[in-house]
Amino acid sequence: MRLRKGLNDRLLRWKMAGGAKEVIAGMVQRGSRNIMVVIGASIIIVMVALAVLAPVLPIADPTPSEVHPEDQTLPPHWFRYFGYNVSKGDGHLFGTDELGRDVFSRVIWGARVSLLVATLAVFFSMVIGVLLGLTAGYFGGWVDYIIAGTIDLFWTFPAFLLALAFAAALGPSLTNVILAISISYWAGFARLMRGQALSVRERLYVEASRALGARNIRIMFTHVLPNCLAPLIVWASVGVADAITIESSLSFLGVGTQPPTPSWGYMLYRGIPYLEEAPWMATFTGLVLLITILGFNLLGDGLRDVLDPRMKGMRR
Amino acid sequence: MADLISYVIRKILLAIPVILLATFIVFLMLYLTPGDPIVNILPPHASADDIAKLREKYGFDEPFIVQYGKFLARLVQGDLGQSVSRQTLNLAVGDLILQRLPKTLELMAIGLGISYSIGIPLGVYSALKQNTWKDRSVMVFTLVAYAMPSFWLGILLMLLFAVYLGWLPIEGTVGGFNSIILPAMTLGLGNAALTTRMMRSSMLEVQRQDYITQLRSRGLPEREVIFKHALKNAILPVITVIGLDIGWFVAGAVVVETVFSWPGLGLLVTNSINNYDFPTVQGCILVLAMFVVFGNLMADILYAFADPRVRLG
Repeated sequence: MRLRKGLNDRLLRWKMAGGAKEVIAGMVQRGSRNIMVVIGASIIIVMVALAVLAPVLPIADPTPSEVHPEDQTLPPHWFRYFGYNVSKGDGHLFGTDELGRDVFSRVIWGARVSLLVATLAVFFSMVIGVLLGLTAGYFGGWVDYIIAGTIDLFWTFPAFLLALAFAAALGPSLTNVILAISISYWAGFARLMRGQALSVRERLYVEASRALGARNIRIMFTHVLPNCLAPLIVWASVGVADAITIESSLSFLGVGTQPPTPSWGYMLYRGIPYLEEAPWMATFTGLVLLITILGFNLLGDGLRDVLDPRMKGMRR
Repeated sequence: MADLISYVIRKILLAIPVILLATFIVFLMLYLTPGDPIVNILPPHASADDIAKLREKYGFDEPFIVQYGKFLARLVQGDLGQSVSRQTLNLAVGDLILQRLPKTLELMAIGLGISYSIGIPLGVYSALKQNTWKDRSVMVFTLVAYAMPSFWLGILLMLLFAVYLGWLPIEGTVGGFNSIILPAMTLGLGNAALTTRMMRSSMLEVQRQDYITQLRSRGLPEREVIFKHALKNAILPVITVIGLDIGWFVAGAVVVETVFSWPGLGLLVTNSINNYDFPTVQGCILVLAMFVVFGNLMADILYAFADPRVRLG
């Protein structure tokens, strides 16, 4: 009996792994034929590579310890075609900021912060959302009543407003930003998970599994969860885009990442007083920010179209 | 009609826990704030006895739930507490908010107008030209406009219209009506992308309906089919979500007002955060949350009004 149980265990584990692998393999295969997925994924790969490789790339120090007055607000070297005097601006692709720091290098180091915060925040909100949504949808009854109510409450409020309230209260720091976004963003994942769990728990294979004596936890994680993998990945991709927007907005308002850590939001904020004098400070930072957000949105939208054509164009 | 009224009452009752959650989160803010408010009020050499006395006076020694109850009781009377910022010390937060509210409402109203007057025609156009390059370019525009962070869009508009062209004032309110154009455009454009997408899919949906085919087969001119029959039905679901847009605008207003130094609630929040004026932050966030609750309620009611089927659900 014990032997059979062990075998059954291994088989199940193998099947689950196969299921997850199958889902991801299917996404890659079908996604590679969708132009949005291809463009989105390419942007993400480039951005992640730049962010990861930032310390070894041959770029200037983003936070030099001393300020050289002669380097302040130098235009990008290719601005000479627009009539700028760039005699000293050699080697600065995006120019320099008000403290003489290389904007290009700061944008790349800023990507590290943005992507890290966004990915971790989405990961944590996914964990919260999946656990709560799965529990609510699978068990039903009063458990569902309470959790679903909480989900709806959090879903009602714009995540940004919640994150702003939490970030303001917790005080500005990288960890607090991640925390604030995670607490504010989980409801979407929970809704998704709950809906899926509700529909999957009535399926025959769940019943069969229960008849074989599988415990609830096991059914939840071997049957219900793998079935929701595809929509979860779609949500996560769009979620990272939202989290980047929220993080940069918080930093822009001064409650996010704190200087001297390079962050896109704060760099844009610093760029406003220099719009006339040094427009490159804000414009290029924002452009990279936009492209990154666009990349994750494209990937999410594209994958959704590929996985579930019925959901096409629905987003609110 | 009776079912509509009972539906509306049900929805209003359902909004109460949401409002309570908002008050709870806002109350929690003061709790999470690092630093003891009493210690901040007293001079640094205050004795432990003094601190304890003051704590008792302000009720900080009471259990969490009692303090929250008292907070709610004051809230019901419209008392949002007093500002602790240097410029507005001891002024009632409620008054500060009332002072700023009209500016935010003005901004949101014009933003909403811009968003719908771009989104609806563009969505209809895009649906009529489905799968052509015109449709695709509109879709690319919506993708970019949706992804565009509002503060960067604001900066770009500022750069173009205020710095280079010099047509509009760069920030503040000194320019009269001209001052509101840029912030309202910034606020409206992102939402216009959403409206365009919704309008497009709604229009496509309606055009597939049998009664449209029937009208066409009767030989009605295409113009009449589209504008007299299809548009009327397609526009309904787009208009009903106007309430949900308020959520977007509330979040956007905080950022946009900061970019353009527009003296509304959003700027008040940002300034208060930077001045550690938490009672004011609490009050503003609560008011903004009320906007969201009200918007959602409005969307539900409008939807039920337009589509009788949901009343019974």
